[in-house]
Amino acid sequence: MSRHVSKIGDPSPLKRLDEPQISKKIRLEIEVDENMSDNSPDRNRRANFSNVNGVNRNLNIHSVKPTTKKLIIKNFKSEPKLPDDYNETTWKKLSSAVIAIQQSKPNEYLLEELYQAVGNMCSHKMASELYKNLFELIDAHVRSNIEKFKTETMDRLLFLKKMNDTWQSHCNQMIMIRGIFLCLDRTYVLQNPNISSIWDMGLDLFRKYFMLHTLVQTRVVEGLLMLIEQERQGDKVDRILLKSLLRMLTDLQIYNKAFEQKFLQSTERLYAAEGQRLMQELEVPEFLAHVDKRIHEENERVLHYLDSSTKYQLIHTVEKQLLSEHINNILQKGLDNLLEENRLHDLSLLYQLFSRVKNGLQELCHAFNAFIKKQGRTIVIDPEKDKTMVQELLDFKDAMDNIVASCFKKNEMFSNSLKEAFEHFINQRTNKPAELIAKFVDSKLRAGNKEATEEELERLLDKIMVLFRFIHGKDVFEAFYKKDLAKRLLVGKSASVDAEKSMLSKLKQECGGGFTSKLEGMFKDMELSKDINVAFKQHLNINTPELMPLDMTVNILTMGYWPTYLPMDVTLPAQMVKFQDIFKEFYLSKHNGRKLQWQPTLGHCVLKARFKAGQKELVVSLFQTLVILLFNESDEHGFEYIKAATNIEDGELRRTLQSLACGKARVLNKIPKGREIEDNDKFKFNNDFVNKLFRIKINQIQMKETTEEQKATEERVFQDRQYQIDAAIVRIMKMRKTLSHNLLISELLGQLKFPVKPSDLKKRIESLIDRDYMERDKDNSNQYNYVA
Amino acid sequence: MPRSKRRSTTDMSSNEDDRYASKRLRNSSSRRVSRVEEAQSFSQKRCLAWFREYTTPDDPDTLGPEGMEKFCEDIGVEPENVVMLVLAFKMQARQMGFFTKEEWLKGLGEMQCDSIQKLQYRLDYLRCLLNDQNIFKAIYRYAYDFARDKDQRSMDMETAKAMLQLLLGKHWALYTQFSQFLDQSKYKVINKDQWCNILEFSRTIYNDLSNYDVDGAWPVMLDEFVEWLKTSRAKAAIS
Repeated sequence: MSRHVSKIGDPSPLKRLDEPQISKKIRLEIEVDENMSDNSPDRNRRANFSNVNGVNRNLNIHSVKPTTKKLIIKNFKSEPKLPDDYNETTWKKLSSAVIAIQQSKPNEYLLEELYQAVGNMCSHKMASELYKNLFELIDAHVRSNIEKFKTETMDRLLFLKKMNDTWQSHCNQMIMIRGIFLCLDRTYVLQNPNISSIWDMGLDLFRKYFMLHTLVQTRVVEGLLMLIEQERQGDKVDRILLKSLLRMLTDLQIYNKAFEQKFLQSTERLYAAEGQRLMQELEVPEFLAHVDKRIHEENERVLHYLDSSTKYQLIHTVEKQLLSEHINNILQKGLDNLLEENRLHDLSLLYQLFSRVKNGLQELCHAFNAFIKKQGRTIVIDPEKDKTMVQELLDFKDAMDNIVASCFKKNEMFSNSLKEAFEHFINQRTNKPAELIAKFVDSKLRAGNKEATEEELERLLDKIMVLFRFIHGKDVFEAFYKKDLAKRLLVGKSASVDAEKSMLSKLKQECGGGFTSKLEGMFKDMELSKDINVAFKQHLNINTPELMPLDMTVNILTMGYWPTYLPMDVTLPAQMVKFQDIFKEFYLSKHNGRKLQWQPTLGHCVLKARFKAGQKELVVSLFQTLVILLFNESDEHGFEYIKAATNIEDGELRRTLQSLACGKARVLNKIPKGREIEDNDKFKFNNDFVNKLFRIKINQIQMKETTEEQKATEERVFQDRQYQIDAAIVRIMKMRKTLSHNLLISELLGQLKFPVKPSDLKKRIESLIDRDYMERDKDNSNQYNYVA
Repeated sequence: MPRSKRRSTTDMSSNEDDRYASKRLRNSSSRRVSRVEEAQSFSQKRCLAWFREYTTPDDPDTLGPEGMEKFCEDIGVEPENVVMLVLAFKMQARQMGFFTKEEWLKGLGEMQCDSIQKLQYRLDYLRCLLNDQNIFKAIYRYAYDFARDKDQRSMDMETAKAMLQLLLGKHWALYTQFSQFLDQSKYKVINKDQWCNILEFSRTIYNDLSNYDVDGAWPVMLDEFVEWLKTSRAKAAIS
């Protein structure tokens, strides 16, 4: 409170009044004081106002109960008298002081004196006249000030500067004047709500004449717009001038009406034109960078000189004209390129900009989705690219994931859209992707694949599982995976048991135990076979030690777990047959009631062979073995003889001979030479065989077989699907007894885990009707009844 | 002869229901009233005698193809006339081209016909039966089992087309197109479900196919027919 009092007594109130905010606050406080002092009517008459506030405040605080002291103070007072011409003389003094201020001349009176004079006049009921006089004085001055501009025809910038000077001096003068007439403000103005304070009066007058002379006003506004335009075009402009004049408009409360609208309109015009033009001229990334720059600039503008209330509309206008209007154009013209070239920085910017405008992200997401579908389709659909398809898919997925994570801020909408798009395009080509993924896994899990460490392999498998998840026909994958797994297990080519198990557990997690039970069965078979072989060896040692030491390993495969192999009857050497019989006896004695069937197609042997150059070990298939063993009897055999002696199927035998006589390691010589095996060909033992390795693996020729195998596998999958559909229909019908066609179809689509067309389902339904598993309702052909 | 006659009566009493028994009673009593009435009223015996006119001594209880020809001639109807199908339906004859004694007696007994003349009078009535929607449906369904080769589950295409021509040829505007569709299709036989749905289709689907629902329960054959018809119409529209 003491601070407050001292401030009133401060001879130079100018500094304080620099901030209208604070002055307002002070005024409020004073208001409170006045209201309080209203309680005692004679206090108004008191001349010694500098005491009033302090003392009375203290008094009032304690004056809940009146004290005797109050009376004593009252008696101190004597009514001061003023001279009769006090009014005129004082006003003369005051007016001359005001005019001096207005003309920036030195003041001949002390401010203190003037201040007190005003105080005296106020306390002697001359306030209203004083106010009127002051009003006229200021009015005249402001009018003449503004009217000066009417006739001025100077350069715009100069005009603005002058205007600014006028405004600045007006403010300064008003502050000064207000300082002098502070008492007027505090007493008279406050008591009469209809009268505005001296400062406001100054503003009102300024506004009045400013508005009155539209020419002046337009010139100012146009000048401002011109400056801003210049700045937008890259010129340096006087920001302080801009700021000051805009503050003026704000203070005059015509910022909105006179300036903002026009400003926004010109902004809109400018950026509409710029957007159109640059969209044509610039590449999308450049365009985006430009938009970003523009938005940044406009933000700066708001920060530096515009009123902050303009910000929303201004930025919105820029966004609208530069972005919203061009969303489709930008996406069509540039998104694909950005995604293809993996330009993360530009994509981030794109996302950030699009997130500013309405529907921007939806559109972006939409275009992103379309891009993935289009791009993915080209990867998947072309049969020529089958070899690299899976790797490409993995890379593509990585790239897209990366973009979503680093550019699209992991927006869920985008990652979901990504998944949806992948699922969509992968299933554009039925079955093949599933098959290729299975084969890809096989190539990674097969032994001899040293390119990856365990951890890398694990990570790769995880990625593959992501692709796998998108596939609709998982049964196709299973069929091929199973076939390849069987090969890996039987030939002992699996790279690592851990990796196999881990893949299996992933599949199980993804598709449930039903999906993997057969695959697990295969692993179990392999383990059981190991035990059986150990037991069998012991059995042999004990019971028939006299047998020639032929090392035999048998894998017992449970039918149903493994892919089906066509049984082939071939003529085995007596030795082998004997072993087979012993094993059969041994096995059946342990497991009564089982049936053993030998699968010669899957067998492989290690043979010891003596050539001129020395002894070698040949790792060959059972069929190759049978052929080679014939050459123990004689060095040369005809094709027909070999065929009769081994009883191998014709095509298979030809391939086998090809591998032995036409491949890399030729242990036989074909007469005559040539690639194809003819009926009259003869084969001779190649005693001159040389090879730097001791143990040589002679591969079967399989090219042809794989396509056949593949077809067969596919065929089997389709067959299985038919059975599954039939089973599902019967299961549903058995439960429901009667069901309408559409409900049955939708329930089927829910149950079946592979893609089916409704027309396929219809065929199966008709087939079941034909086979009397169900019937069409006699009266309602849209309804089916279960036939028990 | 007498042996078979006796057996037929036992058959009757064991097989036929009370209604027949009472009819027989009424017949025997009416015989006593007057000869004129007797000629008009139904006689089991006369009916059987009439049946025997068409059978051979080798197989006295079955009316074979040759007898059928003569029978048709006698009543003045071509064998391929649709009335013959209705008659067979009345008799619930099991096999096209054959009537057994039981079928004959049941069907003609129901219609109270024991002579050529009486049956000829009833022919118009039989034709009228075709106009009743429900009876027509029953006849249509019956026709499938009647015409089908009993060794096979399905009806071969030639028979099927002939039967469709007979039953739907006049009433179904799309019959000609359907027949063309069958000619070019891979179908060799028609199963009962397809057969029954063809009737439904002919009754409910407009000629412009506008109310056909591809996702409905129609057999695939009809889906294909609609598809085929639409494309051939589109082609026609272009050229």
